[in-house]
Amino acid sequence: MSERALAQRFNEVVLPHLGDALALARWLTGNAADAEDVVQDACIKAHAGISGYAGGNARAWLLTIVRNTSYTWMARNRPRAMMAVGDLGDLDDMAAAHGTSLPDEDGPEASLIAKADTAALEAAIAALPQPFRETLVLRDINGLSYREISAMLTVPIGTVMSRLARARGLLAAELGRAS
Amino acid sequence: MTHDDGLPNDPEGIRLMIHALVDGELDAAAALAVERRIAADPKLAAEHARIVALQGAVSRLPPPDVSDAFRARIAAIGMAGIEPQAPAEAAEPQRGAPSALPGLISVAGGGQRRDAGTRPSQTRAQPRARRFGSFDWRAMAASIMISAVLASGATQWVMQSGVDDGFAAAVASGHRRSLLAASPIDIVSSDRHTVKPWLDARIGVSPPAPDLVQDGYALIGGRVEVISGRPVPALVYRHREHLITLVAEPQQGGKTTQPDDLSSGGFSMVHWSDGAFSYWAISDMERPELDDFVARFRKAAV
Repeated sequence: MSERALAQRFNEVVLPHLGDALALARWLTGNAADAEDVVQDACIKAHAGISGYAGGNARAWLLTIVRNTSYTWMARNRPRAMMAVGDLGDLDDMAAAHGTSLPDEDGPEASLIAKADTAALEAAIAALPQPFRETLVLRDINGLSYREISAMLTVPIGTVMSRLARARGLLAAELGRAS
Repeated sequence: MTHDDGLPNDPEGIRLMIHALVDGELDAAAALAVERRIAADPKLAAEHARIVALQGAVSRLPPPDVSDAFRARIAAIGMAGIEPQAPAEAAEPQRGAPSALPGLISVAGGGQRRDAGTRPSQTRAQPRARRFGSFDWRAMAASIMISAVLASGATQWVMQSGVDDGFAAAVASGHRRSLLAASPIDIVSSDRHTVKPWLDARIGVSPPAPDLVQDGYALIGGRVEVISGRPVPALVYRHREHLITLVAEPQQGGKTTQPDDLSSGGFSMVHWSDGAFSYWAISDMERPELDDFVARFRKAAV
């Protein structure tokens, strides 16, 4: 493939999804300025690897690179934050122990959740444990399917589903409490 | 309380199915089954409302601002390969590099904005296309399901049917699969203006898809069946608690045939042609009801 064709493909595959890429990086790194740096790094990787893009969902392909770049970037710039994430399995267990996965009769009303203001919601998302946060962002902000998330995180679809349910459970509880 | 709708019976399992419903991960039949459970249980209904409210709130969060300057920086990365001396595999971001190419930046940036304007429909179709191909709904369900109850009557239909037409058997098994919530994800929509373009984009044909909700037959979606190695469009209608699958095989040199009864083994099936498509309607409704559907469909599809 000629360099011009590769450049053309980069334009088609990467540029339409910059908003999604920034959103993911923003939620993984925690702030918008770092997100631009991460996405720029990711786009350089995407450009280098564009000939390996085999078709399919361009957004999922780019977001996979953005996710990996985010973690590399954080390991380099914020080793302490990375250590705090800990073992993913522990977090799943921890959330289960907190009972967030049980259907709670006394959960907040849907109307309370719907009224939550932007700042409270953003704070609640930011406070989610990393694996839950990334699953929620990939699904509800980036709009990926369970299957695409499962492929990206290399976890079974069942795990995607339970992390998503727990993420939403934690958010709902937090918003119900804040209101 | 037990159900034989093939859904998980434990609270955690059904809760995950409600999330999957909200996320559009269920096919028409499974979605219907979950909706029935929700309708029957206020606790599940409250959970469903919470999830919908939460998803709505998250989707209203302001999207990140993609500044023109940032977009231009990224577009410049794409143009870098065209410069003879710029190595494509530049490992480190060179902060100064983009500004060295002001002319290219403005060209790339402007072109991109035009591109972005024409492309969204395509890029949005891609996840669907990918999801359709090999989404293993079975694996997802198996990981949370206790049991699935097989429609044994349908199995017999295929085994013992006097209909030796492979097409009819394939239509029947497609319908059966959909009742078991095991068919690939497809478009779930009651809007024929959504269903028809979706089918058209997938396989290049779309049959008439009249909404017969006034007549008691609501269009609830469509899917693509692969029969005899060819993709064919299928519409799904709902009549009370019954699903009707209507497979429409494109015909060339079409002859028109009157409805022909192929029912057997507990399933009603009717086949007819209108010259452009050869139709196969199958359902577990009684035959007279299916005939009524066929008559109304033919009238509306003219």
